[in-house]
Amino acid sequence: MSGLTTPEAVAELRHELRTPLNLIIGYCEMLLEDATDPGQRSALEQTLAAGRDVLERINATVPPTRGEISEADFAALRDALREPQARIVTATTALLAADGGIDPQFERDVRRIRSSAERLLTVELPSGRGANHVAVTIEHPATGSAAGPAVQPAHILVVDDQEDNRSVLERRLRRQGHTVESASGGLSALEMLGRERFDLVLLDVLMPDLDGLAVLERMKTDQATRDIPVIMISALDDVASVVRCIERGAEDHLPKPFDPVLLRARISACLEKKRLRDVELEYLREVGRVIQAATAVEAGSYENGALAQVAQRGDELGRLARVFDAMANQVRAREDRLKEQVAALRREIGEARQTTRPSIRRGALSLPTGELFAGRFEVQEEIGSGGMGMVYRALDRELGDQVAIKTLRPELLQDLSLVERFKSEIRLARHISSKHVVRTHDIGERDGVYYLTMEYVEGITVRELLDTRGKLGTAPTLAIATQLAQSLVAAHEQGVIHRDIKPQNLLLDASGVLKVMDFGVARLAGGNANLTEAGMLVGTPSYMAPEQMLGEAFDHRIDLYAVGVVLFECLVGRLPFEANSAVALIARVLRDAPPSPAILDPEIPPALSDLVVRLLAKDPAHRPDNALELVRLLADLG
Amino acid sequence: MPKILLVEDNEMNRDMLSRRLQRKGYEVALAVDGLQGVAMATTGGYDLILMDMSLPELDGWEATRRVREAEAGHRVPIIALTAHAMSGDREKAMAAGCDDYDTKPVELERLLGKIEALLGKQA
Repeated sequence: MSGLTTPEAVAELRHELRTPLNLIIGYCEMLLEDATDPGQRSALEQTLAAGRDVLERINATVPPTRGEISEADFAALRDALREPQARIVTATTALLAADGGIDPQFERDVRRIRSSAERLLTVELPSGRGANHVAVTIEHPATGSAAGPAVQPAHILVVDDQEDNRSVLERRLRRQGHTVESASGGLSALEMLGRERFDLVLLDVLMPDLDGLAVLERMKTDQATRDIPVIMISALDDVASVVRCIERGAEDHLPKPFDPVLLRARISACLEKKRLRDVELEYLREVGRVIQAATAVEAGSYENGALAQVAQRGDELGRLARVFDAMANQVRAREDRLKEQVAALRREIGEARQTTRPSIRRGALSLPTGELFAGRFEVQEEIGSGGMGMVYRALDRELGDQVAIKTLRPELLQDLSLVERFKSEIRLARHISSKHVVRTHDIGERDGVYYLTMEYVEGITVRELLDTRGKLGTAPTLAIATQLAQSLVAAHEQGVIHRDIKPQNLLLDASGVLKVMDFGVARLAGGNANLTEAGMLVGTPSYMAPEQMLGEAFDHRIDLYAVGVVLFECLVGRLPFEANSAVALIARVLRDAPPSPAILDPEIPPALSDLVVRLLAKDPAHRPDNALELVRLLADLG
Repeated sequence: MPKILLVEDNEMNRDMLSRRLQRKGYEVALAVDGLQGVAMATTGGYDLILMDMSLPELDGWEATRRVREAEAGHRVPIIALTAHAMSGDREKAMAAGCDDYDTKPVELERLLGKIEALLGKQA
C-alpha cells in the first residue's frame, strides 16, 4: 500500500503549492494591468492561464475537505503540474529575453514569477509528523522519496546568493533531518568553513563576490577543507561551468530548480561516499599505527598499550592489534629472560677467564708467529689446535682487521676432488647469515698447506668454560641453548648441516654472545665418514647421533642430537654416555637410554631436563622437528 | 486614504500584495512576522489588518488573539489569509477573532470586496 499523510501534512502541502501560485497569479495580474505591448500581454496571459490551470489541478487532487493524500496521488499531482509549469517557465523566459531592454521592475517581477513556477515542482510530500497525530506515512526506500528522516544526518552548508534558493534548500534539508547553515556569498562561505566543521557543502556556481568555482578551488587547496564533499548548484543551461567544477574536485551537481527526490538521493550518495572514505582513511591511519608499533618492537622501543585505541575496534584490524600487542609483550618478556640468562652466562665466562687458559700444544704445522703468512697475514698468536689443524690470530694487512686462520692437516685434503668438495662446502656455509655463526672469509693454499680465514672472535669456547667451571646453571645453559638453536635455524635454512656441534666449536665473547664455528668444515673432518675409514675419525664420537654412527641416511636432526649432548654436559657437568673406549661408547650410544638430567641433579627444571632427553632420542623422529621448533620450546621454558 | 497593515513573512508576497493594494488606493504598512504585527497593530492607526496565518515564531492565529486582547474599545477589522485552505479554517479564523477569511492564491477582486465590506461597515 502507498503511504498516507496526516491532515496537517496535507494542509502544509497545500500551503507549499499555493504560496508560489499566489505569487505567479498575483504578479501576473498586476503586470497585465500595466502592459501595453501585445507581445508582453500575450505572454502574461498565457502565464496567468497556466497558473489557473495549476490551481485547478491542485484543487482537484487536494480539495479543502481532504485530510489525506497517498504517495501515488501526490506523484500523479506532480506529474500533472509539469505541463502548466513548463508553460509558465517558457512564457516568462520569452518575456525576459525580449529585445530592446525591459523595465527593471518588470524584469524583477517576471523573474519572481519564473522562480515561483520553478518552486512548484520542488514541493515534496510533507512527512506528516504532526504534534497531535501519529505519523502514518510509510516510506518505500526502493522507490525513493524526498521526505522522511535522513539516512545519515549531516551538518550542511548551503551557499547561494539568492535568498529563495537558500530558504527552500534549508527547509528541505532540515526536513530530511540535517542541520543546516547558509551563506549568501563565497567570502562568507569560506569564513564559515574556517570556523565550523561541515559534512557537505552545497555551492552555487554564480555568485557576485566570489563565485562557486573560486570557492571550490580555495577549499580544495586547504588541508582543512579539501576532504569536505561539494555539490555544485547550477542552472541547467550552464553545463560548461559544471564540468569545470567537477574537474576541480566537486563531487556532484544539482540542477535548478531542485527536484526534491534527486536532491535527497544525491546528498545521501555523497554523504555515504564521504562516510566510506572517512572509514577508509581512519582504517589506514590505524594500520599505520600497527606498522609503527611493529617498527617499535623491532627497535626495542615498543610501549605497552601503544595500540590500545586500535585494539578497541571490533573488526579484524582490532583483533590484529590485540594479538600484536600480546605477542609484542611476550617477545619482550622472552627477551628480558634471555638477557638475564646471558648475564648469568657472562658471569660464568668472567669467572672462567680468571683461571689460566689451558696451554696449547704446539704442533708440527705451527706457523712461526710474528711473520707474514701468505703475503698478507701477520701471524700474532696461536689460539687453538684440534684434529684438523691449528688456529692462529693474525692481522690481515689488506683489510687492516684481525682474522683467525685455521690451517688444515695435509692428509685431510689429499686428492683434488676432496679439495673441490671442501671448497663448495665453504662457499655454501658463507651464505649463512647469523650473528651466532662465525663468518668464513676465504680459503687458500700456501706451500701445500690449505687454510681458512675467518672472523676473529675474542673469547673462550664452551669447552674451556666447562673445563674451568665444571657445569653451568640453568640460566647460562639456556642462554647457550637459545643462541645455538638460532645459529642452526640460519644454517639449516641454507641447507647447511654442521655435523660437528661440540663445545670446542662454540665460541663465547665477553658479552655472552655465542658464535658457532666450523660450519662447512666438519664434512672434511669426518662428519660424513663412517668409522671404518681409517684416519677419518677425528676426536671422539661423543656428540655424534646414532644414525650418523651407523652410516645411515641422516638430516639436520643430527645437529639437534649434538645440541642435546652439549646441553646435558652444560647442566650435569659430564657427558650422557661415557666409556673407556670409542667402541664401548658407540655401543652405549646405540643401546642405552639417555639418563635424565633432573634425576642426576634435582635442581634442574624437569621441563628442561625432558627437552634434553628428547633431543637425545635415538630415533630422529622423536626429536624436535627442526631448530626453529627448538627455539620455540626453549622460549616456552623461559 | 484607508490604511492597511499587511502581516506577511514571505518577502515576495509582501511585495506583490502591497503593490497591488497601493495601486487600488490603499496605504500599506508592512510587518514581517507575528510579533512585529502585534506590536504595530496595538499602536493603532490602521483601518484594517491582513494577517497571514503561517508566520514564524508567532503564527497568525495567536497574533490575532493578542491583538484582540490588547484592544480596548475600538476593534480593527482583521482578514485572515492562508494558503492552507483547509475546510474549517474559516471557522477557526473567526474563533480567533478575525472578521473574515481569504485564501491564497489571492483573487484580488474578491479580497477587495471583503476589505471594502469591512471598511464600509466601519464607516
